[in-house]
Amino acid sequence: MLRGSLAIWQRDMQVLRRSIFSELVAVVAYPLTIYLAFGIGMQSYIGLVDGAPYSMFIAPGLITMTAVNAAYNESVWSLWFHRRVQFTVESYRVTPISVSEIVIAKIFTGFTHGIIKGFVVGLVIFAITPFRFPLEHLLQYLLFLIPGSALFSCAGVISGTVMDKPETIGKVEAVLVMPLIFMSGLFFPLSSYPPSVISWVRALPTTALFEGARRALVAGEMMPLAALQVSLSVLLTFVAAVYIFRYKMSE
Amino acid sequence: MPTASIIARSLTKSYGELTALESFDLEVEQGSIFGLLGPNGAGKTTLIRILTTLMRQSRGEAFIEGLDTRSEGRAIRRMIGVVSQENSLDRYLTARENLELHARLHGMEKKLYKRRIDELLELMGLAGRQKDFPDTFSGGMQRRLVVARALVHQPRVLFLDEPTTGLDPQSRRAVWEYIRSLAGRMTIFLTTHYLEEAEQLCDRIAIMDHGRLIAIGSTQELKDRLSGATVYEIEFTGEGADRYAALLGSMPCVIDIRQIENKVTVTLECWECLSEIVTALNGAPVRRISLQERTLEDVFISLTGEKVRE
Repeated sequence: MLRGSLAIWQRDMQVLRRSIFSELVAVVAYPLTIYLAFGIGMQSYIGLVDGAPYSMFIAPGLITMTAVNAAYNESVWSLWFHRRVQFTVESYRVTPISVSEIVIAKIFTGFTHGIIKGFVVGLVIFAITPFRFPLEHLLQYLLFLIPGSALFSCAGVISGTVMDKPETIGKVEAVLVMPLIFMSGLFFPLSSYPPSVISWVRALPTTALFEGARRALVAGEMMPLAALQVSLSVLLTFVAAVYIFRYKMSE
Repeated sequence: MPTASIIARSLTKSYGELTALESFDLEVEQGSIFGLLGPNGAGKTTLIRILTTLMRQSRGEAFIEGLDTRSEGRAIRRMIGVVSQENSLDRYLTARENLELHARLHGMEKKLYKRRIDELLELMGLAGRQKDFPDTFSGGMQRRLVVARALVHQPRVLFLDEPTTGLDPQSRRAVWEYIRSLAGRMTIFLTTHYLEEAEQLCDRIAIMDHGRLIAIGSTQELKDRLSGATVYEIEFTGEGADRYAALLGSMPCVIDIRQIENKVTVTLECWECLSEIVTALNGAPVRRISLQERTLEDVFISLTGEKVRE
């Protein structure tokens, strides 16, 4: 059933292999700059956050942010480009594969980009900074990173399906996606929020994702409710992404 | 007795108030080259999208090789090849990789598609450029690659939606040659607004306008549908063209008259009126009187009331 998805995903990986170096340089540069500017530059002014030096506090979030951003960006731009510019989605649709296979392929492509790029940024941060974590924490961290990348890939597919203009995609990223990431406690502890706001912020799946991922990686602490919240969000956005894409294609 | 490869019965497609296709009936014989002509917005692309299962009709039914477009889309897509209006080549894959991806989407075995792709690249004159990206190709080469992609899985029906739009005359003729070479091996359904293309390639032609089928037949049958009017061109040697044009224009059997310098084109009610014209021109400085062949464009204009636009 997923033969078509596999063929399209393999195509996307073939293209990624060709440009992997330039892609990774671009992807690594952004979180590394933030790490150096805030983690190192501001560290002496900020002191300890949640009992850890500031550079240690933001490192897990930066890895997670890279992964989910990469997943979102790949899905949204790839789908938009293949649908509106290159018309390759049309050429897929006249072959004996279903519309669902196309959208599932694109979700997996975004997800793969997220995991690869998150992993590389993690390696770079690990290699050139003093940030360290016990390796046994990695499995718990992956329980957040994997669904997190899937969640943002599905969200990217939804955006790439419903938005026909590139400027709209840019605006949504600036107004919705980045604030969701930044509000989720990437650069500050959630306890900084006023009590009236914190319950709202905690309801966001991105908060569960970043908070859960940080605690898993740094402290080896498992937050089952946060993991469940992220996983349910993945399920919902996956169903929504497939449904919306199918609807759009039937227009 | 030839059987129908494509059947449309009372096919209708509406978008709210707008009806893009209205009660469209059509039968295309297996192995034939069928042309669909119509001005922009006539509904050609809507029809082709329904027949290729990209779009659902509002009413009516359509069958490809006996399969219903509404319920057997996947089986239909297995046996059709589609060359769309847009250049849908993947610019991040080489020419060969474009064909390989298409073969994989059709579930072809690697051993089988490798040989098939070699043959197609050779046939289309692209074997030497198979490792290059489509962006580096000329428009004609890109079009040939799109046609090759549509043929990888050896379809039984090939849909070509304006396959030569935007190509220079030389590339256009090259694509025509490829299409002609496929005749008889598969059914070819072609939409075009190049009348010459339809005349050159198609066994049968349908003309549609405002979502409706208005005429169908071979080129000759369509020309025969025009009224009995015949057109003659009279070429004068001296300066009497103006005077004789006025004289001819006043004759009741002349429906229309046009003059360009010393050439006068007269449209007569019927060919028998020619004798009256010859009598009227007795002693006139006439170099030549020639019968003008009716063209598909005349048919098109008479049926749609407009010239074909790009």
